[in-house]
Amino acid sequence: MRNALHNARERAARRPVEATIGGLVLLLAFLWLTPASWQAATLRLAVPIALAAIGGIFAEKSGVINIGIEGLLIVSAFSSIIAVHWLGDGAATMGLSNQWWGLLAGVLASVLLALVFAIVCIEFEADQIIAGLAVWLISLGLAPFASRIVFGSPNTANITRFGAVTVPVLSELPLVGHLLFDAPPQVYIMLLGAAAGWYVLSRTTFGRWVVASGENPKALDTAGVDVRKVRYAAVLLSGVFAGLGGAGFALGHLGTFAGGGDTAIGGRGFIAIATYLLANYHPIGALLGSFLFAGLNSMQNGLQTAGYAIPSELIRTIPYVTVIVVLVFVGRTRLPAAAGDHYESGED
Amino acid sequence: MSAPKERLDRLLERLVRASVLERIVISLAALLAAVLVGGVLVFVSGGFASCRAGLDLAGRTFCYNPMQVYYELFLGALGHPLEGGWSPTNYRLATTLQQTTLLIFAGLSVAVAFRAGLLNIGTQGQLVIGGLATAVTVVYAAAIVPGGFVGTIVLIPLGVLAGAVVGGLYGAIPGILKAYADANEVITTIMLNFVAVGVTSTLLSWRFQDPNSSTSKTRSVPEYAEIPTIPHVGFERMDFSLLALGFAVALILGIAWLLARTSFGYELRTSGIQPAAAAYGGVDEKRMTVASMTLSGALGGISGAFWVLMVHGSWRENVPSIGFDGIAVSVLAGNNPIGVGAAALLFGVIKSGQRSIGTATNVPPELVGILSGLIILFVAMPEFFRLLGRRYVDVGSPEPVRADGGTAGADGGADDA
Repeated sequence: MRNALHNARERAARRPVEATIGGLVLLLAFLWLTPASWQAATLRLAVPIALAAIGGIFAEKSGVINIGIEGLLIVSAFSSIIAVHWLGDGAATMGLSNQWWGLLAGVLASVLLALVFAIVCIEFEADQIIAGLAVWLISLGLAPFASRIVFGSPNTANITRFGAVTVPVLSELPLVGHLLFDAPPQVYIMLLGAAAGWYVLSRTTFGRWVVASGENPKALDTAGVDVRKVRYAAVLLSGVFAGLGGAGFALGHLGTFAGGGDTAIGGRGFIAIATYLLANYHPIGALLGSFLFAGLNSMQNGLQTAGYAIPSELIRTIPYVTVIVVLVFVGRTRLPAAAGDHYESGED
Repeated sequence: MSAPKERLDRLLERLVRASVLERIVISLAALLAAVLVGGVLVFVSGGFASCRAGLDLAGRTFCYNPMQVYYELFLGALGHPLEGGWSPTNYRLATTLQQTTLLIFAGLSVAVAFRAGLLNIGTQGQLVIGGLATAVTVVYAAAIVPGGFVGTIVLIPLGVLAGAVVGGLYGAIPGILKAYADANEVITTIMLNFVAVGVTSTLLSWRFQDPNSSTSKTRSVPEYAEIPTIPHVGFERMDFSLLALGFAVALILGIAWLLARTSFGYELRTSGIQPAAAAYGGVDEKRMTVASMTLSGALGGISGAFWVLMVHGSWRENVPSIGFDGIAVSVLAGNNPIGVGAAALLFGVIKSGQRSIGTATNVPPELVGILSGLIILFVAMPEFFRLLGRRYVDVGSPEPVRADGGTAGADGGADDA
C-alpha cells in the first residue's frame, strides 16, 4: 500500500503533464459532485495552508527547515486585523482600502519574524527545529498579549472582510467560473502565489540557487554565490508567503482573530508542512494538497451545520489524523541533503 | 564488540562532562537575555495601552514598568518575601511548587525523548489523554475499593499507573510511526496533540461528563483519592502536596540513574548522539525509538495524573499547556534530568508569578508565554553567547582570542572536576 502510493507519487513527479491532467479530472469530478458552498469554503480555507506550504518549500529547499511557519501565520493574521482596526475599518488610506494596508502590515510582521528566525538560524547556527518551535511558542503568546493590550481580550474586534472580486465574462464559465473568478482577493493571491512559486523555483537562476543551497551548498559556494544570502532570501520569502496566507485568511475569511488556545490558525501551519512533504516540495502540488485538507475542513463544517450526529470535536480531528496517515503512507520524502545543516563559507 | 563500545562510552562521558558547565552558563545567559528582551517588549507595549498614570516620554505615555512586572513575576511567585509577614508556607509559594511538580514530570518526558534524539512535542497530548485515564479509572475504581486509608493507598498508585500506561501508549504511537514508517515525529506528535484534545472532549461528552456540573469536567475523585498533604507541614492550600514534589524529585533521580547507569539508558543516549555508532554497537534502533517514546509518553501521562489527583480532583477540558512548558523546561535544562529539576523550579516561579502579574499589574499575563518562547529561542543559539563572550574577553591584545578564554577554560575545569 505504502510503496504503491509512494511509487505513484514518484511517477506523478516524473510525468507532470499526465499528473496535471489526472489532477484536473479528479478536480472536475469533485466540482461536479459537491455543493458549491463547500467548494467556495474549500478555496478560502486552503489559502493559509497553500501559501504557508509554498513559503515552507522555499525555506526548506534552501536548507533551513522552518517549523515556525505556524507562528508566522499567527503573527501575520493578528497584525493584519489590528492594522485595519487602527487605520479605521471600512475607510481608505491614501486611496487604498485599509483592508489592503492590513494585508501589507500582516506580510511585514511575518517577514520581520522570519528575519529574526533567519538570523538566529543562519548567523548564530541555532538548531532549526528548536528555533522554529520557539517562533511558534512566542507567537502563541504574542498574539493574545497584544490583543489584550489593544482590545482588553485575547480576541480582536471584528472587521469587514474582503469582498468578492468578480471578473466579468470569465465568471460565467460553467463549473469553475463562479469559484475561480468570483472569489475574494486572497484566493487570487493564493493561485498566483502558487504559480509564481513554481516559476521562481524551477525556472529562474534564483530558484536554482535555492535548490543548490539545500542540496550542495559547497558547490554553490564554489560557484561564487553567497550561500548565506540565498538562505536569507529564501527564509524571508517564506515569511512573505506565510504572511500573505495568514493575513489573507484573517482579512478574507475570519474577519477577526481569536488568540486563545491554539489561536484561530489552529495548527494550519503544521498542516502546511505536511502538505509540502506530501507534494514532494512542488508548489503546484502543495496547492492541490492544500485543497485536500481544506476540503476535509469545509466538509466537517458542512456536516456540522447539516446536523449529523457525529460529535463535532471528533470531526475536527479528521484533518490532523489525515496528516498522520499521509505522512505514514506517502510522506516519505527525501529532504534536501543539507537541510538542517549550517554552512560556513570556507569550512574544511 | 566491546572495544568500540568502550570507546563510545569514553566519548559519551567526555561529551557530557565537557558540556555541563557550558550548558549552565548558556542557560543562565539565555534566561537573562529573555528577561531583557521581555522587559523591552513590556515597556514598548505599554506605549500602546491606555492608562491614567505612567511614564511620559516623547509625548507618549508608557503604562507598564518592566521592573514592577519582574518584581511581581519572581518575588510574587514566592509570596513577596521582602515584604512583612512572610511565611514559607504561603499560598503563592505553594502554587509555585505545585507548578514545579507538574513541570518536572513534563520536562522529564521531553528530556527522555530528546536524549534519544527524538523531538517529542506531544507531551501535551500524552498529558491530556493520560489525565483523563487517571480521572476515569479512579472514579470507577472508587466504587469497588473501600474508602479511607486503604482507598488512598490503592487508588492513587492505580490512578498514576493508569495515566502512565495510557500516556505511554499514546506516546508509543509516534514512536512506532517513526520506527516503522519513517514518519517525522515532530509533525506526528504535534498532530496527535490536536487529536488528543478532540478525542478526550468526545469521550467526555459521550460518557464521562459530571452530570451535576455545568462546566466540562469528569466526576470528582473521592477526597481520599487525592494526593494527601503531610500533616503539620501544611501549606496554606490543599491542591499542593510535598509528597507529590518528593515523588517528582525521586523520579528525577530515577531517570538520571536510568540514563547514566543502566544499559537501557546507555543505548538510549548513544542512539541519540550517534545513531550509526549505536547500530554498530548492537542497538536495535527501531525498538529503542518505540521504547523511548513510550517512556516519554508515560512521564507525560504521569504529569496529567498529578494534575488530576493533586490540583483539581477531576479532569477538565482546557488543560493548561504544561506539556508545551515541558519543552521549555527540558531545552533550558539541556535535557539533563537533574537540570530539569532546576528549570522546572524556574518555570514554576514564572507560572505562579503569571498570576501575580495578572492581579497586581495591568500587564497581560500572556507575557509569560512569550517569555518561555524567548528562553527557548536564546537557548537554541549558544553561538550567540559564544560570540558575545568572545567579544567580551577580547578587549585588549589579540592573545586572549587564541586562548579563547570562556569555553576552553570552562571545559578544562569541568574535566578536572
